[in-house]
Amino acid sequence: MVTRPISCSAGAAATRRMLLRHSRPINLPKRATASSPMYSPSTGTVRTITSSTSQSNNCVTTQRLRLPIQPSPIARSARTYHSYDHPPPPGPFTPAEASLLSTAYAHVPSHGFTPEALALGARDAGLLYISPSILPDGSFSLIRWHLHVQRTLLKGKLVEILGSGGGERMRVEDKVEALAWARLLGNETAGVVRRWQEALAIMAQPSYIPASLAELASLADEILYLAGDVSVDPSWYTKRASLSAIYAAAELFQTTDQSPGFRETRAFLRRRLDEAAQAGGAVRSVGEWIGFNAGAAVNVLRSKGLRI
Amino acid sequence: MATRTALRRALPSIRSAITHPEQQSRFLRSFSTTAPCPAPNPSSSTPDYAIPDPSRPTHFGFETVTEAEKRERVAGVFTSVAESYDRMNDLMSFGWHRVWKDHFVASLNPGFSPLTSTSDPLGPQHILDIAGGTGDIAFRLLHTAHVLNRNPSVRVTISDINRAMLTVGKQRSTLLPAPQQAALSFVEANAENLSLTRPLHPYPSAAEPTTHDNQGNQEQAFFDPSTATSSIPDSSVDLYTVAFGIRNFSNIPAALREAHRVLKPGGVFACLEFSKANKHPLFNAVYKEWSFRAIPLIGQLVAADRDSYQYLVESIERFPSQAEFRDMIVDAGFVVAGEGYENLTGGVAAIHKGMKPRAE
Repeated sequence: MVTRPISCSAGAAATRRMLLRHSRPINLPKRATASSPMYSPSTGTVRTITSSTSQSNNCVTTQRLRLPIQPSPIARSARTYHSYDHPPPPGPFTPAEASLLSTAYAHVPSHGFTPEALALGARDAGLLYISPSILPDGSFSLIRWHLHVQRTLLKGKLVEILGSGGGERMRVEDKVEALAWARLLGNETAGVVRRWQEALAIMAQPSYIPASLAELASLADEILYLAGDVSVDPSWYTKRASLSAIYAAAELFQTTDQSPGFRETRAFLRRRLDEAAQAGGAVRSVGEWIGFNAGAAVNVLRSKGLRI
Repeated sequence: MATRTALRRALPSIRSAITHPEQQSRFLRSFSTTAPCPAPNPSSSTPDYAIPDPSRPTHFGFETVTEAEKRERVAGVFTSVAESYDRMNDLMSFGWHRVWKDHFVASLNPGFSPLTSTSDPLGPQHILDIAGGTGDIAFRLLHTAHVLNRNPSVRVTISDINRAMLTVGKQRSTLLPAPQQAALSFVEANAENLSLTRPLHPYPSAAEPTTHDNQGNQEQAFFDPSTATSSIPDSSVDLYTVAFGIRNFSNIPAALREAHRVLKPGGVFACLEFSKANKHPLFNAVYKEWSFRAIPLIGQLVAADRDSYQYLVESIERFPSQAEFRDMIVDAGFVVAGEGYENLTGGVAAIHKGMKPRAE
């Protein structure tokens, strides 16, 4: 009796996750009113909820009532940032930085992430060679600009990447792969692939490592968000961590990839993502097996008269 | 918190403060951060700080004095410390001020120009080192520009209100290579009004303090604007630096506006100054002890001038925090990148930078 509310709410949360993860177009009413017909995903039946919010199945009722108000992930992507509850943070660059860095960015393919690119960019912006010295991190500011620009570009190109309809019928895994690949192609369109090794060397300097890792985490978050991942359990973290590792590895692979159209990089990315999925599946299976056997062992001991 | 309490308890200062109540009030004031409030000026519509007013109250250390009086007393401080200035800096900061200054100059990278086939279309760089006195920053700027960046066209103007400090710098500059000496010029000016300047008239050594200038007046250590012969024109400077000087100015907003006037669009204002180390309370407590107890003592022993160094640490305490000073820079019309400042050694010193934006 004691465990009932816990299992009940966990079950409802799991149902909601399942429903949102697949994001099938389910005809749910826009606003739930008491005694309106409700779709019950667990049984597949339509049941009518009477105004019984304070009765014995209180838990089920409130969970179900909240369901239809949640917009679908695609509808949510109209927002500018990931949080559904908070306004987007201000951009990390002041207008002065943005004007200096955007013009310098055009010189990266020919000059790399160097003070030369910054100085030429300042000249293009009608400023002086000394002007880039206001940037707090010099060349690293230019690298951060590249990472920021390419990351925020993904959202605008969503239809281009996932097809019209925003990849409604694609699996989340496939969308993650498509988005990560689009981001890798962004390096090529910006012309920085051949310059990326020197950028990685700058990013690996001890004082810049925290900012670089934060940017990598933001990218993984952006990709999973745009792919419509709505996990609310510890897998939120494991998915982002594994995607960060895979993306960083793929980017490193890309810097030495000579194949036409970076075919090899794409194959590398696919292999790593498949491996991650397999590993995730294996971990899940092992966990399931352990849980089942532990439950069985407890039951066996109970049947022997142990008071557990 | 427990550590802080324990440390406070252990400090002998508290003990002496309890036994000497008149010292206690002074000790507590050292932690005050309240800026003095200038007298309101309701008759004028322009901000009252915009007009230099010698009779307006400002602060000299923890005392409140008029702007004119502060100017004279600051001049007195630096005239008396000019000779021992560099030795004292080494003793007070354990030589660390050299690291700050090197980092300051390296982060500015003066004289840098990209390798292109065409020559620099923007003309040679002109650097103005305000309160440059003994030349510490200016010589480093020249070295970076001429030697590291191989750009001998860079010129540096050292400006200071105090002729004694400037004369020390002039003497030290004779040890520089000839091309660097040729690129240097020394100018007496008040940073609050750079349209009135004159080339350096060397100040006599302390051995002969009673010489007179050609009008028969007794010579003063600080620049008198009525003797000005030249000026620094609008939009003529690429880089304006001021290191450990701006907190001594009587009217900081006026100096910032003057910096904005002389800088070219795209020119950079860079300031290295003592600041607040509030972020690390334990470190801050040790630092405060050092600055309020040890530094005046060292001043007394080495430079035989306790009051000047007492003023030094008090003026550091009264200087605005990093964010407040950044806002003052922005108010003067500059734009900043990122936070607008960089802390050195946990905030004991900070580098503030701003750029004069292009006129639209």
